[in-house]
Amino acid sequence: MHEMGIAANIYELAQQSVSGHGPGRLLKVRVAIGELSAVEPDLLRYAWEATTSVTPDAGCEMEVEWHPARQFCPSCKQDRSRSEGSWLRICTECGGPLRVEGGTELDLLQIEYDSEEDE
Amino acid sequence: MSRVIDVKKRVLEENERAASGLRKRFAESKTLVTNLISSPGSGKTTLLEETLKRMKDHLTGAVLVGDVATERDAERIRATGLPAHQILTGGACHLDARQIMTACDEAKVGTPDILFIENVGNLICPTSYDLGEDFKVVLLSVAEGDDKPFKYPAIFSRAEVTVITKADLLEHSRFDMKAVRDQVSSLNPEAEIVITSSYTGEGMGEWCELLERRLEVKRSTVPPAGQSA
Repeated sequence: MHEMGIAANIYELAQQSVSGHGPGRLLKVRVAIGELSAVEPDLLRYAWEATTSVTPDAGCEMEVEWHPARQFCPSCKQDRSRSEGSWLRICTECGGPLRVEGGTELDLLQIEYDSEEDE
Repeated sequence: MSRVIDVKKRVLEENERAASGLRKRFAESKTLVTNLISSPGSGKTTLLEETLKRMKDHLTGAVLVGDVATERDAERIRATGLPAHQILTGGACHLDARQIMTACDEAKVGTPDILFIENVGNLICPTSYDLGEDFKVVLLSVAEGDDKPFKYPAIFSRAEVTVITKADLLEHSRFDMKAVRDQVSSLNPEAEIVITSSYTGEGMGEWCELLERRLEVKRSTVPPAGQSA
């Protein structure tokens, strides 16, 4: 369970990103999590709640953008579909080897900030 | 008033910065660095003990070993006559690049031919943290079962080398080696797979050759100009 550490990293990044925008409160963070990032979205949301609950930004929402990894067949030049959480050993069409692509995202995309200063 | 700010940053960018500092440092010293990841009890320390015994006459090695508690693993490595430094994580389930930096300085790791980083026993959390290594090695012991690569795809897709350990137990189990090979190559077509037993010595020659081959490649690689640790 390293999601607590990850949540703390996200909070730190979010705070850095609002510095210079005057006093205010974080309303929402949007993160991208890939299937192969080794981070579990539900655990991360839970950790986020725990991390922010003791800060002035308590109640800040976390929105997770989920990025599945793709299994691509280089011979057919197509992605092969699979059910969530399961993996194919070979291409279901040509029987050739597949390549895994994407799914390694672990990014802070965007934050929503309620600034006390007027524009 | 509410405003939206685009950030678009890697969550672990600070760790990645520290890792790239380590990578520069070890590019200059031409030290091969490997990050060993596996579940607890799959034989990381035993593999290292045997590896170091075989290498110590012609190569220098050092070990940084992470555990939640006890100095036991570092003591076992030191018994082979090579330097080892224990990193106690105090509950954390993985090592990060900053800890490696501190440990390298504290332990005066210097410039060994090979630096082995034995991560905390865990197949999930260490996967996310770049430690400045040249390559990750994932260990899978025969006793754990042949279904693990698809159960833990993140680490098996990233590790350049999969080491099967405790091959001496194969005759007592229904471990299907072909199933493991299929899963690993599906997740990572370029991955090398080495089948070993630290007890019988099976595959140890092949494993040591793999390390020495990679060390040769590292030695012949010129570090990028203008970069220093």
